[in-house]
Amino acid sequence: MKILTIASRNVFRNWRRTLVTTLAMGFAGFIMILFASLMQGLLQSSERNAVAMDLGDIQIHAESYRNDPDLYKRIDNADELVHQIRLAGFHATHRLYGFGLIAAGSSSAGVQLRGIDLSTEFDVTQIHLHVLHGNWLDQRDPKGVVIGRKLARILGVKVGDELVFLGQATDGSMANDLYTVKGILKSVGEEVDRGGFYMTESEFRELMFVPTGAHEIAVMRPDRSSDLKAAKEQITAIAQDYETMDWRELKPVIARILDLADSQMIIMVIITYTAVAMVILNAMLMSVFERIRELGIMKAVGVTPWRLMLLIYAETFIQVVMASVIASLSGWSLSRYFQKNGIDLSSVSDGASFAGVAMDPIWRAYVTPEAVLIPIIFLFIIASLAVLYPAIKAAVIQPVTAIHHR
Amino acid sequence: MLRFLFTIIFLIPLLIYPIDIYSGQQDDSSRERAKEILRQVEDMWRGTSSHSLFTMQVKTAHYSRDMRLEGWSKGKEKSLVRILLPLKEKGTATLKSGNSIYNYLPRTDRTIRLTSGMMTGSWMGSHFTNDDLIKESRMEEDYDPFVSFEGNRDGEEIIEFTLIPKPDAPVVWGKIVAIVLSEGYIPLKYYYYDEDMNIARTIIFSKIELLAGRLRPKVMKIVPADKPNEYTELVYEELDLNIQIEDEFFSIARLKRM
Repeated sequence: MKILTIASRNVFRNWRRTLVTTLAMGFAGFIMILFASLMQGLLQSSERNAVAMDLGDIQIHAESYRNDPDLYKRIDNADELVHQIRLAGFHATHRLYGFGLIAAGSSSAGVQLRGIDLSTEFDVTQIHLHVLHGNWLDQRDPKGVVIGRKLARILGVKVGDELVFLGQATDGSMANDLYTVKGILKSVGEEVDRGGFYMTESEFRELMFVPTGAHEIAVMRPDRSSDLKAAKEQITAIAQDYETMDWRELKPVIARILDLADSQMIIMVIITYTAVAMVILNAMLMSVFERIRELGIMKAVGVTPWRLMLLIYAETFIQVVMASVIASLSGWSLSRYFQKNGIDLSSVSDGASFAGVAMDPIWRAYVTPEAVLIPIIFLFIIASLAVLYPAIKAAVIQPVTAIHHR
Repeated sequence: MLRFLFTIIFLIPLLIYPIDIYSGQQDDSSRERAKEILRQVEDMWRGTSSHSLFTMQVKTAHYSRDMRLEGWSKGKEKSLVRILLPLKEKGTATLKSGNSIYNYLPRTDRTIRLTSGMMTGSWMGSHFTNDDLIKESRMEEDYDPFVSFEGNRDGEEIIEFTLIPKPDAPVVWGKIVAIVLSEGYIPLKYYYYDEDMNIARTIIFSKIELLAGRLRPKVMKIVPADKPNEYTELVYEELDLNIQIEDEFFSIARLKRM
């Protein structure tokens, strides 16, 4: 087949135009790959912050607890349920929640007390790895607590500072005690950042006078790619007397954003590539018009319209392939760079959050095969659409008029 | 048509003004009287200063609590209450000074000033809120009282007052209805209505006995309307009025030394 040889010769004949067209396509592809990886990174980190730092995949509560979080609305047989859920092959932990006031010096703030079972919480969430300053809770240090970072800022405390808790225990008495800040968490979400006050389960039970039961059971699938709905049904069957919800129901906004991520990506690609299509159309149309005589002669010596069309397409695809190489190499490597190093947004948007889930101050990209493939595939599709008109134009040339064309 | 309109426009003020002036005059004197009586009722436990010993029983669906407390007050703005029993909470004290409430916690040896967010919280596990402690002394500033009934009801000569919150008063109640014995102005019942004008809680005064030199109700029971089985009951054991007490007594520094 001579077409490829002829096409490449044609492409490099006007190398300036080829360079500009290829670079335009390559740049658009590069931008889209980078954009896709950054979006993926943002979504992954918000899902991770929501699910792996706090929610877990599935949560169990006493009926109506979520609407009215009351110290008395407990899951009575929490230990047994956790045990059964673990037997069914899931990770599970129970948690205790309460409310009260924290004072440090002259400042004070309302907090959400969280009693954590240190032996099982690590199976479900990675919150213990998410400490900004200091350390995570320790069973041997019951008065050491871990707090959210905005809370720490509101109170003006750092690791080692003293906090006074005041609240109401289940027996109506004033629960109060002294605690020391053991750790300050990285950004997790509005709720935790502003009001998170983590302590060991045993300390919570003593402080708030809750000898048995728990307010929440958080469940995590061992394999996160398995079917969430099926897992939820399984858990619902185990915890029949209680309300079971998966994280998509608990944080519907995040779930929707994640669902829409792919279509959003494609829309962005189409918009950007429409501009690229104009460039291709213009360049190929120019190259067809300036070669009308030449194409006319080709036709006169017996080249069929189909082969002419094929020639124009081959010329375009040579450029698209070069652009794709440029785009994927540069896009992939820069995305990899941002995946490793991240973009530091802490000065611009410290503690920003969307839908109540915190954005990490370091924005990292996340390179997935789709993030690279979708922009490249669309580049080919758009290019073949754009070059359709110049190709037809070349195919239907009348040899006689073409040869006399000047 | 035009004449009709004019008539209406001119008639409306004529219709409104005389009545308004008339009812205004009526209101002013009755309002003054209502205010005066309510002031006397309020002063019943307070005087210029006071010292008291009382018990508080709290019963809720989840717990019941018996406490013995000691209280001091001076004027309207200053008061201090300290827990004597149960031993677990002995020494826990609440200081009210103006619009601020401080809690002293002996277990931690710290004093905490309550934030506005904690104001709606329960005071020492009872059905009183911290806000009640503040608002109790502000009744006169926040509400316009008038006499809504006077005479014999259920065999007792009573006066019924209705207290309507002033337009921009920072209050949580829609209105308060207070029933007071005509003789001696001894309070019998207070009904608190929410913003939708449904009863939210009732305070019942009973056991009228000689206390600090005159007849006063010794028992004060508060019942929330949505939980009729719950209550908080205050029983006065001792009350001394118009005692000698300095302002410094109601200070944060003093809280700790008690």
